[in-house]
Amino acid sequence: MKENDLNSAQDDLDARLRERVLLSRPAPDDRLMLADATLIAALDGTRPLTPNERQALSASPLTLRRFRQLSLERQAAAQHAVQPAANDPVWTGSSGMLRAASTTSAANELEALVTDDGHWTLHFLPQDGGWQVILSLSADAPFAARLLRDQPLLRVIDGGGAIVLQGRLDADGECERAWPFATAPASHFQLYGAGFAVEPVAP
Amino acid sequence: MRLPGTRYQEHGWEQVRKLLGHCSLHAFRQIEMHHVLEPAQHAALLDAYTDAVAASLRTHVRSARGAAEGNSYGESVYELSLGLLYELQAQPAYWAAFVAAMASEHARSGAFWHDAAAEGVLRKKVNDMYATLRDKVDADNYIVATGRECSPNKIYTYRMLDTAYREIADLFLAWEQNAAQVGAILGRPLAGTPIEVRQMKSIGGCKAEWIIRWSESQEQFSGSPGPLHTKSKRFASLKNSPEKIAALLTEIGDYEELSANMDSAEEWQGEAGEAAAWLEDYWRVLGESEQAEASGLPHDDDRILAAPAADDEDLDDAVPGADHATGHDAASADAPDEALLAVEQARADELSLPLRYLELARAAQEAGSWTVRMMRDESLPIRLAVYHKLLGASDDTYPDAWLDPATGELPTLQQLAALDQISMPTLRKRRNEAIARLQAAGAR
Repeated sequence: MKENDLNSAQDDLDARLRERVLLSRPAPDDRLMLADATLIAALDGTRPLTPNERQALSASPLTLRRFRQLSLERQAAAQHAVQPAANDPVWTGSSGMLRAASTTSAANELEALVTDDGHWTLHFLPQDGGWQVILSLSADAPFAARLLRDQPLLRVIDGGGAIVLQGRLDADGECERAWPFATAPASHFQLYGAGFAVEPVAP
Repeated sequence: MRLPGTRYQEHGWEQVRKLLGHCSLHAFRQIEMHHVLEPAQHAALLDAYTDAVAASLRTHVRSARGAAEGNSYGESVYELSLGLLYELQAQPAYWAAFVAAMASEHARSGAFWHDAAAEGVLRKKVNDMYATLRDKVDADNYIVATGRECSPNKIYTYRMLDTAYREIADLFLAWEQNAAQVGAILGRPLAGTPIEVRQMKSIGGCKAEWIIRWSESQEQFSGSPGPLHTKSKRFASLKNSPEKIAALLTEIGDYEELSANMDSAEEWQGEAGEAAAWLEDYWRVLGESEQAEASGLPHDDDRILAAPAADDEDLDDAVPGADHATGHDAASADAPDEALLAVEQARADELSLPLRYLELARAAQEAGSWTVRMMRDESLPIRLAVYHKLLGASDDTYPDAWLDPATGELPTLQQLAALDQISMPTLRKRRNEAIARLQAAGAR
């Protein structure tokens, strides 16, 4: 068994026991102490429980069981809600390869790389003896509107996992940075698996 | 009858009741029944009773009665019986009432539990305990599922109406043989096939007036008064409230329709992942409330619900005190030395457990977990007994090293007591003290 599995099984066991301790303790004359509206507002964070309400919830296994039910229903609803709507697709990343055709110029200079899905292009511009690298999003990408609106932090990594570029798109759907490596782009990508990927940076 | 959350209101209940009665009589022969006369022993007696009945139930897992379907959510008679048995722990008032009934019978006829001829009396008392307990448990289940008030009496009323509907449906089905009573129910003399007989397809189609007139006509047609018309005051007010009856009938009918396609019960014990999921919400909500309090800003008025109008005859509550001091020297959770391991292995061997059972089971605990921290001073067998009581002999989340390979379950309480070299009562006492401490800490 992997260590992670072990920990999560142990956490589950711990949680199960804590749950039973809370829910199965005898509480004479227990009754529903808080209305659904009060519990839901507390779950939503819109109205914290007052000290007396907090005490009432903790001391009432029956109210806790109702809280549990509402919490699980709420989480199930939230999970349902993050399913992408058909007209607003979620983008989780794009990748591409350095292809023979990418380096056609006589000087063996790499000018651009395109992801396999065609939605992203990396441009390379020589500047002051180095290079600038520009990530640009195709306006045709189905997730373009969402990305321009949400402005998530993006990164480009090479085949070895090193960060080529990191930043947010500007209003034109571009992000420009200095090329961070000493070797020229073409040689660099050849050294590191010839692959690259554009991905959102997890918050 | 099905209602949101309820588990004990369907056809299988009769079998659950009989199985619990059977196993209880079996248990009474093994435990110290005279302890019903000593209030100080009542809590210990409940523990002994629970363990003995659980063991007896376990022999019925695959018997025809135990394996039979107990409700339409797929729970077997055995599962429901075991579930209800364990509810006694959380509802000690019902045990207290049972013990009191036993003691007063003893005052009349001595140690009747030794008398084979008194088996019927004994069985009746067990029945009474579980019949009232199941309605309490299901009333709570209903509240949890819906957020609406409920009480054991209300569950009893739902069931009375459901039974009345079924009797009316039977009369309608054979209306030609029961023309006079069917006429009385419909409130008019019959001329040809009454259309209502065809139209009433479910309890939702049953009219409140029919229920009232059926109950009224029972005395004349069956010789004994119907439930709304007995001398007992229980449903006396209901017969003058057809709109109340109609609302209850509609609710049963609606849920029956809604739940017809459900294939599993809302299992409130739930999945392992669910426990972690809602507990996280719980700690967060408590934390936000504490933060708001600490901020010093004025808070809202309390919105604590008022107690509903009481409609239950109150059961006296006897809460077993949990204030004994723990005076035993704790077995160390640190690495034990070689000699100790050898002793442990000898004990495990006597119990047909793997030789290194204690050593491996100890290693399989997560040292940083809340539970282990809280039970730091308890020996491993006591800790396992706590799990045994709270989560049952088997649970998906138990590490393999805790299980007896012969059964795939935790060792029995007898084995755990032997592993710890203590008596069963001492094991139970220490286990209960540990649970009381967990409960005190868990509630914060």
